[in-house]
Amino acid sequence: MDEKTSEVNQSRQFHEVTLREFELTDVDDYFVWASDDRVSPWWRWDTFTLKEDVLAFMEKTVLPHPWMRAICLNGRPVGAIWVTHRTAEHQCCAELGYVIASQYWGRGIATEAVNLVLGTIFGDMEGLERLEALVLVQNVGSQKVLEKAGFTKEGTLKKYLIHKGKISDMVMYSFIPADN
Amino acid sequence: MDEEVTLRLCNLADVDDLYEFASDDKVSAWCRWDTYTSKEDLLNYMKTGMIPHPWMRVICYRGRPVGSISVTPYTGADRCRAELGYVLASQFWGKGIATKAVKLTLETVFKDLKDLERVEALVDVNNFGSQKVLEKSGFTKDGVLRRFWIHKGRVRDMILYSFISTDPLV
Repeated sequence: MDEKTSEVNQSRQFHEVTLREFELTDVDDYFVWASDDRVSPWWRWDTFTLKEDVLAFMEKTVLPHPWMRAICLNGRPVGAIWVTHRTAEHQCCAELGYVIASQYWGRGIATEAVNLVLGTIFGDMEGLERLEALVLVQNVGSQKVLEKAGFTKEGTLKKYLIHKGKISDMVMYSFIPADN
Repeated sequence: MDEEVTLRLCNLADVDDLYEFASDDKVSAWCRWDTYTSKEDLLNYMKTGMIPHPWMRVICYRGRPVGSISVTPYTGADRCRAELGYVLASQFWGKGIATKAVKLTLETVFKDLKDLERVEALVDVNNFGSQKVLEKSGFTKDGVLRRFWIHKGRVRDMILYSFISTDPLV
């Protein structure tokens, strides 16, 4: 094996993105992004400061979630990705959300995780016709992830919701099975 | 036309007038509910759904109820947003009554609903009548939401329209 092939194989080895279900034993890894001030401004939750609170959140929300996965880099959780129905009756449409620990930003991990979800979600969720994602207008990073993964930008929704006390504009993206 | 369309609160005595269009297949075709077949069911909906509603009005034409219009707010972080819906008896379609009702609504709803900043409406891509009503009332077409909704058994694309509190009243 020449040097170049061995280098390529090495970088592939050290960049394998997989998804799996969370376990409570993941709390230490979960705490990494949940307690990060660089991460929480983009999400509805406030920065966690106590591991017990993260554990309680995992018990109450993460583990019972109908579709939530740990994003693993070489087997270790570096983020989370989830798909949630808007309401119990509105089953044909579900919303995608994800979070990556800030030290792993810019490496294409979110894009890979989203692609992994797109590969299975329409089979996993009966009746799903549409996967959508709502992104803050200022969250250009996430917009790029969704565009790279093949989502369609449907429009900008002004004054859509209140984010950290401010009325915010959101961009609506969607992915439907025919997009594959 | 202008003075002939008015909005007022619903009361149970309106049941006969409302039943005229609630029992009309032509009307319910675009609505989320199924055609009413009993006045009792409608009366029940009026008691539990219409009268306690956060913002619901009966649309009157020359003093007589011919439809209804509602603005339903979301809660929590979504409380700045509400969904507009309206229904009009089919014999009164095409006269500009719905447009007038929507305009009257936009004049007061932002004062009536404390946290409201955005009124939105979802319209089937084939419901050209309603698209015209919203466009004439000053709504902005935000975009088409693909395969958004299952309407009476069929997956539909819906157009999302919005009117922001700072938008000019037409």
